[in-house]
Amino acid sequence: MKQTPVLEGAFVSDPEPALVGSRCRTCETVAFPASFTCPNPRCAQKDVVATPISRTGRLASWTTVHFPPPPPFVAPDPFEPITVVEVEFASEGIQVVGPLAGASAEGLRMGMAMETVVEPYYSDDSGEVIGWKFRPAEGDADG
Amino acid sequence: MGDVIVAGVGLHPWGKFPEKSWVEMGAEVALGAVDDAGMEWTDVEAMVSGAMQWGGSTGMRSGNTIAAALGETGVPIANINNACASGGSLMRAAYAMITSGMHDSVLVIGTDKSPKGYFPSVPVLADEPRPPVDMVRWQVGVPNPAYWALEMRKRMEAYGSTEEHLAQVKVKNSRHGSLNPYARYRKAFTMEQVLASPMVCDPLRLLEICATSDGAAAVVLVSDKKARRLGVSPLVKVAACSLASGEFGDPTIRIPLLAAASDGAATAPLLSESRLAAQMAYEQAGLGPEDMDFVELPDNSSWHELQYLETMGFCGEGEAEKLLDAGETALGGRLPVCPSGGFSSFGEATMAQGILQIVEVTWQLRGTAGARQVEGARKAITEVYGAQANNSACILTT
Repeated sequence: MKQTPVLEGAFVSDPEPALVGSRCRTCETVAFPASFTCPNPRCAQKDVVATPISRTGRLASWTTVHFPPPPPFVAPDPFEPITVVEVEFASEGIQVVGPLAGASAEGLRMGMAMETVVEPYYSDDSGEVIGWKFRPAEGDADG
Repeated sequence: MGDVIVAGVGLHPWGKFPEKSWVEMGAEVALGAVDDAGMEWTDVEAMVSGAMQWGGSTGMRSGNTIAAALGETGVPIANINNACASGGSLMRAAYAMITSGMHDSVLVIGTDKSPKGYFPSVPVLADEPRPPVDMVRWQVGVPNPAYWALEMRKRMEAYGSTEEHLAQVKVKNSRHGSLNPYARYRKAFTMEQVLASPMVCDPLRLLEICATSDGAAAVVLVSDKKARRLGVSPLVKVAACSLASGEFGDPTIRIPLLAAASDGAATAPLLSESRLAAQMAYEQAGLGPEDMDFVELPDNSSWHELQYLETMGFCGEGEAEKLLDAGETALGGRLPVCPSGGFSSFGEATMAQGILQIVEVTWQLRGTAGARQVEGARKAITEVYGAQANNSACILTT
């Protein structure tokens, strides 16, 4: 089946799944998704390079969405509530939201280690749309 | 710099009006505000109007559309969109037109008809190399209340806030709204009823998130010179009118973005734009939070009401729940919050909700707010909350 990333360049699957952002060569600010420039107003250089983000981070918050979002969200019928999590990547100084993979919200607790995976978001006639998700990780977070 | 005076206000009831267009609603409040100011339509020197995205191209030029309906007079018209902060941004634009001496009277109009349910994204028609983040966030599945729920869960973790606190905000605001004939929802809910409403984005329930409404509001701002000529009494003065945007390093994940600075790396406060707008307004007015008799804040959800009490400087971090528990934020309390019933009772109509607050404060300061009158109200602050970090605060005094 044809696979299309939900956002080109925002993640990689090989060798391991990870988010990809941009890092400023001067002030080290990391942005996700990647930007063409540095968002730090006090940084004059603005020269950025693509950078992989740590595979694991810590759970900063979560919520379960009980009513289906509108398009372009593709909701299964019947709709099953989805859980959106916020994961902190301390080494990069950012937190990122994404869907929870492979677990129910029941077992989530603040600060637990979470890892990035790449999974299908939905499929339609033209194939699968894949994107990043987060799931509870074994062991400790990198950051 | 001379004073800016609220000479007239107009408000349409809020709700769902499938038989009435936003143009009719906007024209009605425009004429209502002009009449309330003791002016004629042809006296209005300039107009600013909310650029209403849900209304398509003509909606984006709502001011011109309303002027064409009521009779074009050739005056300058600016249409502005700053998401839910549009009303405050319009006030700021009108305020600047008057304090600069460009005009002696400016009509401020917000009229809107909202789609039902979660606010969707406006489609991108431009030929772009990549989808905008606003489209990606929907594919991820993050509706607006999910952003608020993520912050609320952190609050519960940090301060021990409970589901009952969230419900209590609604109980209070619904009691205020039950006293307001213009509100969409006039039922006073009990704690049990709020807690029995469906979960939308946990911990936020349906009754703890504002609905999306049709609504319209208008204000005529004038110079003090014009106010004297019109014989405006009592004089409700715009003591401050600020506008701020987000700061780099803010840990808030903003609608419709997917990331923010982590708490450890944050160099700006949560809701930096909102904190900044409030601070700018206090500074401009030469007043502080302790001087305010009441506040109309953006209760888009129960989380907002708790958070904005801190963001606007009324209490320290994690202390909003104590004010709520003590009844200080209810009508009759030390600092009534949203005596109008708030967006909780009106619903959001993004172009109009900031102006709705100004109308309410004007009525309160005139002493004509009826059953929801805040006794002896002389000074109040309003603040809105706009997507992607837009914010405006106004202080009105009499």
